[in-house]
Amino acid sequence: SMAENREPRGAVEAELDPVEYTLRKRLPHRLPRRPNDIYVNMKTDFKAQLARCQKLLDGGARGQNSCSEIYIHGLGLAINRAINIALQLQAGSFGSLQVAANTSTVELVDELEPETDAREPLTRIRNNSAIHIRVFRVAP
Amino acid sequence: MSNAKERKHAKKMRNQPTNVTLSSGFVADRGTKYHNGGGRHFHQAQKQEPFPGTSRQRQTKMTHHSPVDPDVKEQSSSKIMFKKKGGWKAGPEGMSQEIPKYITASTFAQARAAEISAMLKAVTQKSSNSLVFQTLPRHMRRRAMSHNVKRLPRRLREIAQKEAEKAVHQKKEHSKNKCHKARRCHKNRVLEFNRRQKKNIWLETHIWHAKRFHMVKKWGYCLGERPTVKSHRACYRAMTNRCLLQDLSYYCCLELKGKEEEILKALSPMCSIDAGLTFAAVHCLSGKCQGSVLLYRANRYPREMLGPVTFIWKSERTPSHTSESRQLWIWLHPMLKQDILEELKAACQCVEPIKPTICTPGPLLTTSEEKSQTELPDEKIGKKRKRKDDGENAKPVKKVIGDGTRDPHQPSSWISAATGIIISDLTMEMNRLRLIGPLSHSILTEALKAASVQTEGEDTEKTPHHWWIETCKNPDSVSLHHRQEAIFELLGGITSPAEIPSGTILGLTVGDPRINLPPKRSKVLPNPEKCQDNEKVRQLLLEGVPVDCAHSFIWNQAICKNVTENKISDQDLNRRRSELLVPGSQLVLGPQESKIPILLIQQPGKVTGDDRRGWGSGWDILFPKGWGMAFWIPFIYRGARVGGLKESVMHSQYKRSPDIPGDFPDCPAGVVFAEEQAKNLLEKYKRRPPAKRPNYVKLGTLAPFCCPWEQLAQEWESRVQAQEEPSVASSPSGEDSDSRRDKLPCAPTPENTDLWSDEGGTSLSSCSEPREAMDTECPARVGTEWVACQDATGSLLCVLRSRKWLKQLSTWCGPSSRDKRAARRASGSGEPAPTRAACLPLLERFPRALVWVSLALLRKGSPEPHSMICVPTEEDFLRLRQDQLYCGPQESKHSDPFKSEIRKQKERKKVEKRQNKQAPTEREGLAGGPPAAGHQALTLGLWSGPLPGVTSHCSRVLLGFVTQGDFSMAVGGGEALGFVSLTGLLDMLSTQPAAERGLVLLRAPASPQYRFARIAVEV
Repeated sequence: SMAENREPRGAVEAELDPVEYTLRKRLPHRLPRRPNDIYVNMKTDFKAQLARCQKLLDGGARGQNSCSEIYIHGLGLAINRAINIALQLQAGSFGSLQVAANTSTVELVDELEPETDAREPLTRIRNNSAIHIRVFRVAP
Repeated sequence: MSNAKERKHAKKMRNQPTNVTLSSGFVADRGTKYHNGGGRHFHQAQKQEPFPGTSRQRQTKMTHHSPVDPDVKEQSSSKIMFKKKGGWKAGPEGMSQEIPKYITASTFAQARAAEISAMLKAVTQKSSNSLVFQTLPRHMRRRAMSHNVKRLPRRLREIAQKEAEKAVHQKKEHSKNKCHKARRCHKNRVLEFNRRQKKNIWLETHIWHAKRFHMVKKWGYCLGERPTVKSHRACYRAMTNRCLLQDLSYYCCLELKGKEEEILKALSPMCSIDAGLTFAAVHCLSGKCQGSVLLYRANRYPREMLGPVTFIWKSERTPSHTSESRQLWIWLHPMLKQDILEELKAACQCVEPIKPTICTPGPLLTTSEEKSQTELPDEKIGKKRKRKDDGENAKPVKKVIGDGTRDPHQPSSWISAATGIIISDLTMEMNRLRLIGPLSHSILTEALKAASVQTEGEDTEKTPHHWWIETCKNPDSVSLHHRQEAIFELLGGITSPAEIPSGTILGLTVGDPRINLPPKRSKVLPNPEKCQDNEKVRQLLLEGVPVDCAHSFIWNQAICKNVTENKISDQDLNRRRSELLVPGSQLVLGPQESKIPILLIQQPGKVTGDDRRGWGSGWDILFPKGWGMAFWIPFIYRGARVGGLKESVMHSQYKRSPDIPGDFPDCPAGVVFAEEQAKNLLEKYKRRPPAKRPNYVKLGTLAPFCCPWEQLAQEWESRVQAQEEPSVASSPSGEDSDSRRDKLPCAPTPENTDLWSDEGGTSLSSCSEPREAMDTECPARVGTEWVACQDATGSLLCVLRSRKWLKQLSTWCGPSSRDKRAARRASGSGEPAPTRAACLPLLERFPRALVWVSLALLRKGSPEPHSMICVPTEEDFLRLRQDQLYCGPQESKHSDPFKSEIRKQKERKKVEKRQNKQAPTEREGLAGGPPAAGHQALTLGLWSGPLPGVTSHCSRVLLGFVTQGDFSMAVGGGEALGFVSLTGLLDMLSTQPAAERGLVLLRAPASPQYRFARIAVEV
């Protein structure tokens, strides 16, 4: 899953009255996961995530089912970690792996649940940065 | 020689004749020819005939050997052999192997004759308790031997005949004197199924479930508890990554019809805005969203909880504010139905039952028809007669659809003259399936296709789908249908139901889902093409489904009835499929295809807490009755895994939401549930031998099966009061608890009352020990005061559900909430520790309240239900800080005051038994039963009698109990949910240092080990 969302900006918070609304962050919209997509989060151990990527690239015991390219996605706080993983993969590959990064902006939805019957629930949109790193094999 | 071996040998020799011993391993091994005529060595003995007198000599030798064990008689020859074995080995005459010199013919023949007759007897007599044909060697066995005696060898037939007759007598009366084939024929099967669902309601998917699930009878239904295949983890994965399907048709629906203001006015006393949004919440009232609410007895909030329900309002077609007649559906768990229905009727003043119109035609057989069906097989009638009879009952037997247990004359709707509100019980009138998991969108969009708009076709009242043709004439309706269809198709491009606003309602009319059934079971995958970013999806995610798209024809009873009745049977459908020119091609029914109105309701997953947000979200789908299997199979064919009741519990546990009705100790259904659970656990416990089960008394677990909530809350209340008055606080704890017990009326758990009342009646007659004396006086107290405390103090117990205070508590609970800014915001004053002054208003309002908490294990351990939540001491924290691997303290062994009691009882019983034996005539009149039987109430390992102070019984002070707890696969560690005493929690939090605030100890009922856990209140 994606990283935990960052906290709302000051402007959003100023309008929000904690007595009347409760903030609930919704899951970010995302595309269906292919086998070679890896969404980096801040909760799982770094080493485990690195090992997972490595395993995908290496494949099974005799190199079967190995992916020639994987995509590492990081959102918000996890951008650093995504970059870190990609670079570690590259450094450990003796030059056989290359990385190509793309950045994007993801729209996140905050739901404001009313605490009184008379109010409608509100939704707020805030943006967060995301990175998509393609790690692929090149002929050495 | 081992005892077991000897016994086995003795059994083998049991039916051997007195003077014959089969050569057993013991004899053969020795290699002696020293046998007295075992079958194998028979011919050898004959060879020895020329030497008369052998046998006599042997006899003397035998007697010579026998003095080793002079008691042994000839009868137990096998025994002799055994006993003699040692003697032979040791004895010097072990070499007496020389062949006898002579044999006397007559004696020898006599001996042989005796042996032969003994052997014959042994052969004819069957020794084992197996049947004759089972004793045959394999090569002589034949198929169906047990059925047909003639397949046996002739010599065994007689015995087999006897056995067969015996078996027939033993076998219980065959219910229907029909052969297997007749029973399997469709008509008879339907009859049989109809009969079997008269007691407990069957869901429409019952047969499917019964083949694959462990079924339980619960709440008046037959429900699948868990799959028979090993699938705990697979079901979890399905919920997280794929799709889990559940049949929730057993949930009850109550319909309220009437003016909006009237309904709201009637319902408002039953819920409180303090505990969350009510029926009047704007977005729910418009019909856009499903709402959930906690119901209480009118004006009794926060006490006398009735249970949690969800509700949906029917959206208004025209946005006029006349709000003439609105429809409200309240969905609830069947266990809560009775209480809530009564309360609703009282609140709406609906007292006048509406006579059911023409008592449900069709589904239930009329009694006369039934009678003929049951009587027929009794008189042995020939085949022809039966056929003819079938011809007479040409009317095909109808399957029970809906509630088969309900009496058709019983009213199911009530009207109020004053308010004009009509309450109807729509239980089993609709099916409700639940899809949980991210793939539910793909499965829904694959399996269901919106109905085609139908304009042509003759338009008479008799055409089966008349209502749809009528609808299609209206251009507004058609455009609405298209919009609904467009939104439904958009769902396929959304990867998780959690992305959609929670509680979204979408109405739709779909075609027959059986038409598009794939030929094989497959797994759908989300279609990436659909998932392109587009403005429409974005709008759907932001604003949700527009109000008018929530409209569905399922709200219309007449249309639902029409849809149920005009369903093409599976048989017809398959016949048409087989008539297709190209086998396997798409079946086109055209105007004859059914159109089914459905309602889709998004179920929000985990909404509280910070982690795993949206886990377990999904869709509920409502559709008219009769269509259960038609929707069920297509979903399964698209790769949904099916879960039962156990999976529901797992779902709610991982969502950290309270399970209905187990986690509502303040509502009557919850109390009943706890009683049942305690009874089952006690039974299970008693089934094990005392040495193989935990001794809960020694472990210091007072209530291993049932949580004494009231006593817990009471004790904490008086405990804190005592702390305030220093004079009382100085008194030792034991005395303190005793005095408290006297002061307060005891609040026994239901299980314990049973125990006492059993004991109370009997211990009067027995000896006068001080403890027993205490027991005897207690039942009296129970009898009188139990009722009183139900009224006076029982009503004081409540569960804290005020959102304001729960938010406050969650910030007080310390560093568990990672969102620090939110914590600061909510606490207002920014004060981290709860002070006495801050707690006071809360404590005054809720003196005996419980709080729903979630616990995460700090290190090792996986908690169990009924685990105890305790307050750690200073030194526990000290050791925790010092030792990285410190698991937690241990409870020292308690003494068992009941053990000697039980032993005494046993001895007494023994003495009585002996006396009974000695003088049966004398004791018979007295009937020694009662005094002996009465003491069975004492069970080794369980605390009997009133519980002493539960909070201070162990070395750590008790705070509460766990109701659900397990290793959580979602977190990868132990997680538990439970209740703690509010007073106790505040007391604990105020004394704990900031770094360790919110740390508690957990101890499983059958373990002395405490383990650290972090407490959190999630709102």
